[in-house]
Amino acid sequence: MTKPKIATTWLEACAGCHMSFLDIDERIVDLLDAVELTSTPITDIKEIPQVDVGVISGALGNEEELHIALKMRKQCKILIAWGDCAVFGGINCMRNFMDASEVLKEGYKNGVSTVNPEGIIPGGDVPALLPKAIPIDYKVKVDVYVPGCPPDPDTILYVFQEILQGRIPKVPVDMMRYD
Amino acid sequence: MSEITLIIDGKTCKGLQGDTILEVARRNDTYIPTLCYLKGLSPSGACRMCVVEVEGSNKLLTSCTTPAQDGMVVSTKTDKLFNYRKQILELLFAGRNHFCMFCSQSGDCELQTLAIEHGMDSVRYPYLYHDFENDATSADLQMDHNRCILCGRCIRMCAEKVGAHTLDLKERGWSASVIADLGEMMGDSETCINCGACAQVCPTGTITIREFVYRGRRHDCDEVVESICPMCSVGCEIKCYVRTRSLARVEGSNTEGPDGGQLCHKGRWWLPESTERERLSVPMIREGSTFREASWDEALTKAALKMKDAWGKSKAGAILSGIQTDEELTFYSDVFKNTLNLKYIDCFSGDVLRGFKKGFQPFVEQGVHPFTAAHNILESDMILTIEADPQDEAPVVASYIRVATIHKEAKLANICDCTTPFKGITDVDIRSDRKEIRKVLLQLVKAVSEGSEITGNLKLNTLARMLEKAEKPVLILGGKLADEAANITAATNLAIASRAFFADGLGIVPMVRSGNSLAAINTVLGEEAWLETADIDCLYVSSTGLVPESPQSLEAMSMARFCIVQTPFMVHPLVNMADILLPAPAWYERSGHFCTIEGERRRLNVIVRPKKDLKGLSEIFNTITDKMGISIASSEVRPCENIFTTQVPPEKAQMAVLEEV
Repeated sequence: MTKPKIATTWLEACAGCHMSFLDIDERIVDLLDAVELTSTPITDIKEIPQVDVGVISGALGNEEELHIALKMRKQCKILIAWGDCAVFGGINCMRNFMDASEVLKEGYKNGVSTVNPEGIIPGGDVPALLPKAIPIDYKVKVDVYVPGCPPDPDTILYVFQEILQGRIPKVPVDMMRYD
Repeated sequence: MSEITLIIDGKTCKGLQGDTILEVARRNDTYIPTLCYLKGLSPSGACRMCVVEVEGSNKLLTSCTTPAQDGMVVSTKTDKLFNYRKQILELLFAGRNHFCMFCSQSGDCELQTLAIEHGMDSVRYPYLYHDFENDATSADLQMDHNRCILCGRCIRMCAEKVGAHTLDLKERGWSASVIADLGEMMGDSETCINCGACAQVCPTGTITIREFVYRGRRHDCDEVVESICPMCSVGCEIKCYVRTRSLARVEGSNTEGPDGGQLCHKGRWWLPESTERERLSVPMIREGSTFREASWDEALTKAALKMKDAWGKSKAGAILSGIQTDEELTFYSDVFKNTLNLKYIDCFSGDVLRGFKKGFQPFVEQGVHPFTAAHNILESDMILTIEADPQDEAPVVASYIRVATIHKEAKLANICDCTTPFKGITDVDIRSDRKEIRKVLLQLVKAVSEGSEITGNLKLNTLARMLEKAEKPVLILGGKLADEAANITAATNLAIASRAFFADGLGIVPMVRSGNSLAAINTVLGEEAWLETADIDCLYVSSTGLVPESPQSLEAMSMARFCIVQTPFMVHPLVNMADILLPAPAWYERSGHFCTIEGERRRLNVIVRPKKDLKGLSEIFNTITDKMGISIASSEVRPCENIFTTQVPPEKAQMAVLEEV
């Protein structure tokens, strides 16, 4: 029997959710006996193959992230949203109080520590910002939500174990956190 | 009140006529989630978390505002209700910017707790991403409107319990927000008294206290110790959150009592801040203009020598703080009064306490309790403040006065040599020179008891008529009035003339600052003032370091030839006076009892254990007296709450004879 395949990706977020995944420590050995990690920031495989379980950490903030999210949804059977950024938008939403163009001005021109005498704002060859940073379920259907900043390693592992048992889990109340 | 019976979730539940459905449920240990409801405040039904289904009604009813009726069949836990509540929570999250990962209240937040309880793993509604203001203009409080759920607890607390009415709502719907005054920033508010009650009741991270945010969340704390605030004689009950042997935050614990669990700025900020101050940890002996560290034995030997010498010449004295426990004050009384028979013993606020004690004496002799519990101000229909500044002297008393005046329509009058402390709500405001105050009081006594006019002074005459008409007047006597005992007697006569009678005594609330003033009166208060006139060779000073000493007492201390100062903190200029410095436990390291202005004995508990090298009072004084060659005679000092006993109901009180001025 082939092992179920997992792909994970890290969009607009810090590395916290993947760090928390690695924090399952030695239990990752047992997990890897049961599943195959394909494209992930850990394996550094870029192309997302057809997988059973797809995981997205991070919000959607630009065209590339939207593209990857749509690709992930297409390539997986079950999609998990890891962490507050993917689930609620998280800290990225701080920029939602202004227009995307103003965000770029803040970032590339007006920043206190910014040195940019020509006032150049990069564009064209980098992905364009979406008007707002948004939770992933604004654009793709999510099957399992795992909030937390980051979610506890135990919760991440619990969700995988439940899926391996053939269930689509909901994070239980005693495991749920938003911070 | 008659009993009613309801069926809640299939269980027979007893309640009282007048209860709401929520109250009956809570009486019967049935949990209904709430957010805007807070026991002690008026229910508002704003958040709709507490909705229940009632048989016969096709609407969902808010249990916090719906009166329970006999025979009602109520469901609190159906799937329909659970889903509605979850939906409400999601809408709250979508409406503002609730992002827990950078909120200082995460873990202490009621909104977060309920969302988790309802399994909210995502929000089905689009976020508004509306940019709300973060008002950081107040030095102590922060108000982040992004996290506000408009429950209105802060507004109700500020209005109903503190009486400040600083907070209110502006605009409607999505744009509604809590404001100070008429749209001022918190830091610019003229009415905010900085008590922090709004932050204490805020269920989310909207109103927070900077100091506490820095010191740690409630759920990070190791223990919660119940104690009493020693900062004034109101003696508010407090909860102290302790984190790694440090006081992280202080909250009022009497939330269902008349004060609603409020604290004033002294309790809320001064208490936790005191734990950060520089401590005196070892005995020190003066050497020229500086101090050197000394062993306990050396310091106490020297102290005993100086004390014995001065005692032999009748030139020894002691000044003690009234912010100490009954037990400590009784012990001091044993040492200095019963054993050493010192003529010169007193407490820091001696002049004020002596004024009150002597002024009340004629009534105490009649067996009348000459004052009433401060919260009885809430029952009064006419309040007269005389030379008082309650907002400074005992701020929670000021809250009672504002609440009685604004919410219960009591009249408020003031006689004082400066402007009224209650601007805007004072009905009659009379300026009087402090030297003239007794004359004014005597005029009022005459006018009220005889029903006669005071000619030539319209305001005074109006006040006399108000007192005459009032059903239950109460007089608030400021510390300044106690300059002369006869002023206190005259004011008490006015209370009797105005029939200011309460169940527990005469309608008088004296403003005494030290937390254990009643016990100080009963133990270490001197018969006469001596500090500024006596020739002292050796003076023992015990200070808690919580309240600055008055310039007069400092000057008098500096006149003593040798000064032994025992204090927990390196408080200047007090330590500058010392020849020997002895470390003492701080207020949070002590335990014992305080007697409040309410006449109750309340317990001060050890919040943080003292370090090993601190010595207790009895050990120190047993050593000193041993070295002096005497032993301490213990006495039976009456418990402080019995000093002013009520043998005679206040209605029987007779006015005391006073000389005409």
